[in-house]
Amino acid sequence: MKDPYTRDLAEILEVRVETANTKTFRLRFLDEERQRNFSFTPGQFIVISIPGVGEAMFSISSSTSNRQDFSTTIRRVGRVTGMIHKCGVGDKILVGGPYGSGWPMGQLEGKDVLIVTGGIGLPSPRPVITYIGEHRDDFGFLEILYGTRTPEESIFAWEFEAWRKMRNTRLALTVDYVPEGVEWNHNVGVVTTLFREMVTKPRNAVALICGPEVMMHFVVLELMNKGFHEDQLYLSLERRMRCGIAQCGHCQLGPKFVCKDGPVFKYSEIKNLPDCGI
Amino acid sequence: MLNETGRPSKCVRCEIVPNFLLPQEQMDLLLEKLNSKYKVYGPVRKGVEYAFGPVTTAKDLCLDYTTTILPPKKFFTPPRETIFKFHGDKIIGVEEIIPEEKQILLGIHACDMASFNFLDRVFLGFRSDPRYLKRRNNFLIFALTCKEVLDTCFCQSMGTGPVVPTGYDVLITDIGGKYLLETATSEGEQLLKPLGLQEAGVEDLEAKRGCLENLKGRFKKSVDRARIVDLAFNSQEHPVWKKYGSICLACGQCAMVCPTCFCFDVRDSVDLSLESGERYREWDVCLLKEFAEVALGGNFRSSRDARLRQFICHNLSYGVMQYNLMKCVGCGRCIRACPVHIDITEIARELKEGSI
Repeated sequence: MKDPYTRDLAEILEVRVETANTKTFRLRFLDEERQRNFSFTPGQFIVISIPGVGEAMFSISSSTSNRQDFSTTIRRVGRVTGMIHKCGVGDKILVGGPYGSGWPMGQLEGKDVLIVTGGIGLPSPRPVITYIGEHRDDFGFLEILYGTRTPEESIFAWEFEAWRKMRNTRLALTVDYVPEGVEWNHNVGVVTTLFREMVTKPRNAVALICGPEVMMHFVVLELMNKGFHEDQLYLSLERRMRCGIAQCGHCQLGPKFVCKDGPVFKYSEIKNLPDCGI
Repeated sequence: MLNETGRPSKCVRCEIVPNFLLPQEQMDLLLEKLNSKYKVYGPVRKGVEYAFGPVTTAKDLCLDYTTTILPPKKFFTPPRETIFKFHGDKIIGVEEIIPEEKQILLGIHACDMASFNFLDRVFLGFRSDPRYLKRRNNFLIFALTCKEVLDTCFCQSMGTGPVVPTGYDVLITDIGGKYLLETATSEGEQLLKPLGLQEAGVEDLEAKRGCLENLKGRFKKSVDRARIVDLAFNSQEHPVWKKYGSICLACGQCAMVCPTCFCFDVRDSVDLSLESGERYREWDVCLLKEFAEVALGGNFRSSRDARLRQFICHNLSYGVMQYNLMKCVGCGRCIRACPVHIDITEIARELKEGSI
């Protein structure tokens, strides 16, 4: 029996600096079979573990079609992420997973896909974007609305041009404020202000939402006002997690384990649950 | 023995297994026999309370105990448990950490027996935790029919007692001057057979039934099990949470002493060389403020009202939705442990009355 609490060594192949506090780490399991068998759905997450420091959960941010390696995008906020940020190319770290349910890829086929995300929420739906890019004819219109606090906090900014060039795709950006001396040609305001210019219509569309809970609360509210049905809205939730396999108990949301039953939920599944701020 | 999915690895009732009688003064004989091959744990006195601890003689063993401070979950999922050890790049896994040691847990009441079913579903249901499985399978279980009903007991209303239905190797019942030992597994039978004990008759089983009947009329507390699952689930806005949340000290003792509370935190510790150390898990409780805290200070249950509601509703409602089994087994330990006398059965009653 494989111990679900063991982690496997992975090598850091590349570190991309996204912002002042966020990096994308490209990783590959040392064990070839483990790497070969590592397949995931967009929206699933992994655990990264450094013995002596601890471990934490992160969304997988790379394309699902790439089976050679995988990436995760991490903001430095505490002890574990601080230590991961100190790692460089060639360093080895421990990885476990993937865990959880992902975005409902089967439900998206043939539909218009609206992605509304904020800040460090983008890594979770990013594999959806790359997947749609790789299977462009299987999906309808793709619209990505992305908000950050300032222009410098956009992650995957290096890829925005490629997203814009994807067929039948629109990317709209917004920031809460623009610091003096920073150039910004896009919208200013919270992410919901992008709904004014939004192209996606509720008919035959699915919305994927990932960001801080308070942002998701208002996004859901506004999308419902615009005619979206609660079954068309999917959200990826954040919770404290220690195991990823519904045993440590921290991520419980009413009767749901966010790590096992989520992190992606249909809005109708969670809207009435206690301690859900959405 | 349980398999990885938490089911018995073989049918435990394939053969008819006999029952025996043990005169009370011969308990030492049984303990001596058990101790020769097994490490035996049972209820022993600890100050004015009881605790599960090592038992070698009948003098230590308190089979007339009421309840213990900590439930027996500590044997299957210890308060602090190593997940793995590391030395440089080398990881030392679970197989080398938990010894293969046959042990006996003796004197387990009906409520605690029921708690094992719940824990099995947590640790062996979705993914199998080899630590739990190994510890669980290291134990033979001697259940014990209760002799007393405490003011805080409500197993009867939770459907978990006072009868012990299954899950044991041997069931002990004090039927006055002697113990009725009912075996349910061949392991249990093999332990008892060599003792040359008298086989029990119909009248002894009848005597046990009499003891149980006597217990059934003595429960003072109860929960309306049929209705509470939905009532608690829909109770988010109920004033009961503010009422009791305002006096709750958020000390977490209720969850520490709960036989089915399974939550844990995962931490690392390193020795002074900074080269080796261990990753361990440690009981954690949802009453503590840090429990639902995330990066950058976010907290999904920062108020005590919300944390108390989580503890109570998990016990009376969510558990059923997660595992198809009521988490609360009615042992009453949380009521006894609470320094401000918050009573889960009282909350259940108020939820019910407030709903009419």
